[in-house]
Amino acid sequence: MPVVAPAFDIEQETALITIGEAVSGQEMFSFLGEAAERVNYQPDIRVAVLRGSGTSFCVAEDDDTPGLAATVASIAKPVIGCIHGNALGAALEIALACDLRFSAGTSRLGLTQLGRGAMPQNGGTQRLPRLVGRGKALHMLYSSQVIGAAEARTIGLLSGVFPIDRLYPEVIALAHKMAAMAPYSLRFAKEAVIKGMDLTMDQGLRLEADLYFLMQTTADRVEGITSYLKKKTPHFEGK
Amino acid sequence: MSFDTIIYEKTGSVAYVTLNRPHKLNAYNVQMRDDLYEVLGAIRDDPEVLVAVLKAAGDKAFCAGADLSEFLTAPSPVIAREVRWERDVWGRFLNIPQPVIAALHGFVLGSGLEMALCCDIRVASEDCHFGLPETLLGIIPAAGGTQTLPRMIGKGKALEMLLTGARLNAAEALQSGLVNLVVPRQDLYATAEKIARSIAALDPLAVRATKEAVSRGMDLGLAEGIRLESQLSANLKCARRGPRPASGP
Repeated sequence: MPVVAPAFDIEQETALITIGEAVSGQEMFSFLGEAAERVNYQPDIRVAVLRGSGTSFCVAEDDDTPGLAATVASIAKPVIGCIHGNALGAALEIALACDLRFSAGTSRLGLTQLGRGAMPQNGGTQRLPRLVGRGKALHMLYSSQVIGAAEARTIGLLSGVFPIDRLYPEVIALAHKMAAMAPYSLRFAKEAVIKGMDLTMDQGLRLEADLYFLMQTTADRVEGITSYLKKKTPHFEGK
Repeated sequence: MSFDTIIYEKTGSVAYVTLNRPHKLNAYNVQMRDDLYEVLGAIRDDPEVLVAVLKAAGDKAFCAGADLSEFLTAPSPVIAREVRWERDVWGRFLNIPQPVIAALHGFVLGSGLEMALCCDIRVASEDCHFGLPETLLGIIPAAGGTQTLPRMIGKGKALEMLLTGARLNAAEALQSGLVNLVVPRQDLYATAEKIARSIAALDPLAVRATKEAVSRGMDLGLAEGIRLESQLSANLKCARRGPRPASGP
């Protein structure tokens, strides 16, 4: 199988991270690490889209390189997983570390490690139940269940499903729409939700309030509110 | 009790809180914050109130969000933050000991949705639209939405609404667990009333203990949550048994 090199492109403040095919887990880890750092630190990037090449979302199903999903989870800006093929095993674990997931109608998803006598080690046992509930997660894990896109959408594993030729244009359109929003709003909303879920409600409310008041030091907040009151389209500069 | 932006009424053991700024789509402003703070305190402290129903006046909206005309006036973030915790409306709402039922119609956006999420049961009319548009305005939710929404409908759906401005209609809200029931508009208040009356007929201490077990328990690990449940259950039995006669000769 020919090796498809990974790629990193930026278009309209959206980073398009294309995971290569048949690259080794170690190469994948280096590539994702660099990609995450660029997304986090480059001001000309506001949203990231993660997609595969070739036949599957990314990485071989039986890849056991640790840290891949954690690297994706370390991105502070919104990350959209664009799944055009299957997302099985570690590939699904990486998708679970994204904030939103969209797939093609023909995609199939599952954590298949137990069927091979192994177990997830890229956060699948933690992120899947938190997303779809304990019952469904254990069912999928115990039976190495591979589900179709429609069912994945119903149980909350996917945010949307598109015909394969519409998947990429729709995801990119959404990413561009998000890239036009206020960058700090997106980052702080993401932080409040994700960090907040590990806190008690009281602590989470304090986190939300602290981030909210921090936003009162931004110009984008003034831009957003005054534009709304004047019925104009806001232009957010990320300041 | 009379307020500028809220109507508060009591019929027997059920309290009714009606947001009352229909000409402004019940937009949440400083006055409504103060009125709500008082009303919630009154409910909390009234032993006759066993259930509360939250609804809103006007035809178009339960509450279309915060009143933006009052924004951009805070002296500094430091002072704004102090004011936030001086009168912690949302903490008070989430800790009301009695069950609260929300009867929702029309637009339920921003702080309107966040208010609905502070309630225990949500009944929606078929015409409802739900959303958290704060991130479209360069801000983030400040009435608990980043915490209450994911705990209600899950992280995936919550992030979708927050990061993309996506809205849910009534059917989608039902499917995602955001609301418990969807009914035709003309049946909305009768449905909420029926639920309220059925809860008001139950043992009040058992109802309060159950709400506390569930709400507080969600902040705890499973083992600790089960201990909390046992504790509350034991307290309930003690309370029922009443004071023991002193044993003596």
